[in-house]
Amino acid sequence: MGTVGEERARNKRGLMGWLNPYHYNAERWAYMFQRVTGVAILLYVLGHLGDTSFFVGGPTGTGPSSSSWAFIGNIFENSFGHLILILVVLVLFFHGVNGLRLILTEFGLIFRKPAAIEYPYKPRSLSSLQKSLIFIGITIAAVAAIWAFLVLFEGLG
Amino acid sequence: MKESRLMLIQYATAVVAVALVSVHLIMQGVIYPYSTAISFSNILSIYRNGFYAIFLEALLVVVLVHGFNGLRIILHEIRQTKPWTMWVDIGTVVAIVATVAYGTRTVILAVFGGVAG
Repeated sequence: MGTVGEERARNKRGLMGWLNPYHYNAERWAYMFQRVTGVAILLYVLGHLGDTSFFVGGPTGTGPSSSSWAFIGNIFENSFGHLILILVVLVLFFHGVNGLRLILTEFGLIFRKPAAIEYPYKPRSLSSLQKSLIFIGITIAAVAAIWAFLVLFEGLG
Repeated sequence: MKESRLMLIQYATAVVAVALVSVHLIMQGVIYPYSTAISFSNILSIYRNGFYAIFLEALLVVVLVHGFNGLRIILHEIRQTKPWTMWVDIGTVVAIVATVAYGTRTVILAVFGGVAG
């Protein structure tokens, strides 16, 4: 444990306290990506709330309107919009699977019993199952993004 | 509310959100082709199916509570002063209420509003 001065300096790192996982393990990288993808998904959800509201005519609408829906479709239903959706699917699936891993670890379900750290200084509590789930999450996200690509770009053809 | 309870809410909404978002994505690209899924007539029929309207409302609430509570946790870590903590908590509640209200308005108008051209 550091001195009071060191503790204050550590707090002053602000966002960089968690945003820079360089020199840390895979779990720390997954933790950083969990937060970054979380913020990205929240921003997408807010945008999605806005665009879906055009189904009922936008902020001043009074009911379902096909012309308003066509208007918003002309803006977002193109290659760039679909590319954004593929990225959303990618981060959504990583965030979901990695989030489930975090919940399982939080409740100690996929942790080994903690023990004193000895050479080569690898934390014994970190089981290979929970580490595997990080890479399973990345794989599922990649497969989902390919699926989204096929679904979205087939529609353009 | 105690932070431990808020964290449990975060986990519970996460699990429910995974299930609801999965169904939502399946509706968009598996049950219907994407072009059909986003067509006006298809969306209208989905909204006017009471079950799916309730599903969308649940999705809205769960995702926004999870998202804004997650953002609150990140913001709490940046500074630990009392005013910051208080305003972040107030801002979170206001953001959840405002966005859920806006999304609910869309659902209500889609279900009960008169259809225009």
